[in-house]
Amino acid sequence: MGIAAAGSMTLPSELDIKAAIPLATELLALRGRDVAIDASQIERVGAQCLQVLLSAAATWHADGADFTLSAPSAPFSDAVRLAGLDLSDFSSRNH
Amino acid sequence: MDTMAAIKQTFFQECEEQLAELEDGLLTIEREEGDLETINAVFRAVHSIKGGAGAFGLDELVRFAHTFETTLDGMRSGTVDSSPQIIKLMLRSADILADLVRFSRDGGDMDHARVAQMAEELTRAGGHAPEAVAVAAPAPFLAAPGEPDEFGFAPTPVTFDFASEAPAEPGVDEFGFAPVMIDFDEFIAADAAAPHVIDVRFRPKPELYAKANDALRLLRELGRLGEMEVSCDRSDLPALSELDPEGAYFVWNISIANADEAAVREIFEFVEFDCDLEISTRVSGIDEEQAAETVRDVLAQVAAQETVANLPPVADAFVAAPIEPVAAIPAPEAPVKAAQPASSSGQQPAPAAAAAQQGGSTIRVDLDRVDRLIDLVGELVINQSMLAQRVMEAGIARLSDVAVGLDDLEQLTREIQDSVMAIRAQPVRPIFQRMSRVVREVADMTGKSVRLLTEGENCEVDKTVIERLADPLTHMIRNAIDHGLETPEERIKVGKPEQGVVRMIAAHRSGRVVIEVSDDGAGIDRARVRQIAVNKGIIEEDAALTDAEIDDLIFAPGFSTADAISDVSGRGVGMDVVRRSIQALGGRITITSRPGLGTTFTLSLPLTLAVLDGMVVTVAGQTLVVPLSAIVETLQPKPSDVHNLGDNARVISIRGAFLPLLDVGAVLGYRSEEGDPLNSVAVMVETENQSQCALLVDGIIGQQQVVIKSLETNYGHVFGVAAATILGDGRVAVILDVDAIVAGSRSDQARADANRKRSAA
Repeated sequence: MGIAAAGSMTLPSELDIKAAIPLATELLALRGRDVAIDASQIERVGAQCLQVLLSAAATWHADGADFTLSAPSAPFSDAVRLAGLDLSDFSSRNH
Repeated sequence: MDTMAAIKQTFFQECEEQLAELEDGLLTIEREEGDLETINAVFRAVHSIKGGAGAFGLDELVRFAHTFETTLDGMRSGTVDSSPQIIKLMLRSADILADLVRFSRDGGDMDHARVAQMAEELTRAGGHAPEAVAVAAPAPFLAAPGEPDEFGFAPTPVTFDFASEAPAEPGVDEFGFAPVMIDFDEFIAADAAAPHVIDVRFRPKPELYAKANDALRLLRELGRLGEMEVSCDRSDLPALSELDPEGAYFVWNISIANADEAAVREIFEFVEFDCDLEISTRVSGIDEEQAAETVRDVLAQVAAQETVANLPPVADAFVAAPIEPVAAIPAPEAPVKAAQPASSSGQQPAPAAAAAQQGGSTIRVDLDRVDRLIDLVGELVINQSMLAQRVMEAGIARLSDVAVGLDDLEQLTREIQDSVMAIRAQPVRPIFQRMSRVVREVADMTGKSVRLLTEGENCEVDKTVIERLADPLTHMIRNAIDHGLETPEERIKVGKPEQGVVRMIAAHRSGRVVIEVSDDGAGIDRARVRQIAVNKGIIEEDAALTDAEIDDLIFAPGFSTADAISDVSGRGVGMDVVRRSIQALGGRITITSRPGLGTTFTLSLPLTLAVLDGMVVTVAGQTLVVPLSAIVETLQPKPSDVHNLGDNARVISIRGAFLPLLDVGAVLGYRSEEGDPLNSVAVMVETENQSQCALLVDGIIGQQQVVIKSLETNYGHVFGVAAATILGDGRVAVILDVDAIVAGSRSDQARADANRKRSAA
């Protein structure tokens, strides 16, 4: 466990290009803590938000913190598969 | 105009620009000065036309543009060599595209057969090269890949059916591939059955996302085409703190089984400039390099086919040439090839100059507004000179503040006038470009090989002048090729290069623009011209004419030198129409010809139709303006110089030569009695056909720049009058049509009588 208390975040339903900057800002604010992401509400997701999430997972991994994405909605899983990625890419466990 | 029509109009305007860019690019490539960016620009031009046309549902235009684009894409990716034959084909396709645009705009019936034929040629030349691999691979000629010599030309026509499954004949290889029609339809048809994989490497740029396209949507569409495997390369993805959330970091490698490559390309159609895209077809179970080899062999044949189809038999020596570069290049160099010429022939400064011409921002302005502005500035100039005159009349001293202020005002108005005129000025480039098309068409029709060299395309002339130059220039170019240039056989016989040269040069010369159209043909056959003129009753059998006068005969109405009226130039309208339209522009046309060396037509045109430098003269109490360009000199006649000739004709002797002396007042019908030469001034003028004449006027007021007001639009045509102007004192003065006065006084006294009656009425 990290020093600070674990953070959590529920992803909005629309993760299109307009959502990319707010998403990155929100995630950056949680940096340094273990984070649990709820992906159950996602109805639409674009490639750029996938980039942000994937980058976050890698960053958390490098920081030695946990990044957990849980309960992915069907549209999200579908988009991940379409992009040639795997859901496990979006989680990083260091413990 | 409703919104839709307005948008459509903008689209067509843009089409014109794209077409110009397209042609410009192709010509650059033809001169071997182009690089990959030139090809890209050409491609984009066609692509934009297609895109716009699609939005307006102009199906035929879209279809043809698509075919064109596909071939261009082949050139861009290096699968189609930019050989002279291909470029020629593309230029002709550009013509068709321009026609299609025009017909879409103005209505009318397009020659569908011609479009279809051109589309077929394009498809054939471009080939769906990658698809060709699919069938070509198992074909027998694979037996000797990489040995292009074996495919050398055998003149024996062998019909060879690619699609047939009976490759057994060993003789075929020895014959190599004699020129046969290669039917790509069969390739394509067969292609669907052959197992293959399309590989796509797709790297979006941030712009792609910024334009509201999403990579995932494209991937989803790709997935519908066939079984798809996607792998995402995310090695470029930075840590969150460095990440631009709206950047583009993913690169996808996608393979789709058994899809149609064209369909794949279509998906990327609207994003292709916003991503790096590589699409290739891989045939299952075929060595890729071998496949590439095969493509080149097929293309070599296509090139050969083109050569044979397009060149006259004399060109034997050339037949083999175009094949070589295609067949000989080693595999990896193929895509680079298109970019080569620029660097290898780097000594030409042209590309840099061409690049320099671009840039600078422009706005589109309705022509009516510009014309209104020009009109107003014209009024301003007139008003200013009226004011100056009033001030003078009021007896204000020349050096008073008022007069000095007026001088400044005059300078300012002149400057404003010049600047406003400059708005209408446009480079002659577009019209020159249009001529290159005329050259191609006429060369095709007459079976002559012609190269058009242009110079001074940036020379600027008034828009109206440019517009009205198109027809005369077209006619002159046609004449130069049809009548001026010899046939290739004749040229070789007299030791000239087989390809004829037509030159168009534009230049500014002492306030006028001069356009020269010259050919390096046989020159004017003066004996024949003279004979024809005699036969047609244009001149008397025994008329003594100088060479220049004989050359000038081709401008005579009803003169046509072609023995048989050809499709191209002999339509009975001839050069007299050209001369008349040039004169209507206030220009003059002259001809010089050297036997065996060619003919040159020189057009001298005013830079603008709005102002004119004139000599203000008085005749019978009227104020007239004589265009300064026509005046040679003025003199005061002496009694000994003037001689009577018959009842009512007079001549004046000037330095030993006799010139007709015409009283302008009598010719125009201002007075019935001829004026007294001794109390008048003789203005020596030169007409278009270089005949000189002395015009008698009562006095000279001075030289002045006047604003031209058309008499035709405001009143009606009057004999001997070119236009009118408003002078400083507010009076209307007519501008003399010198040519009409000189010609009219000779031939038609009746017109002068008519004029007299009109003024009396």
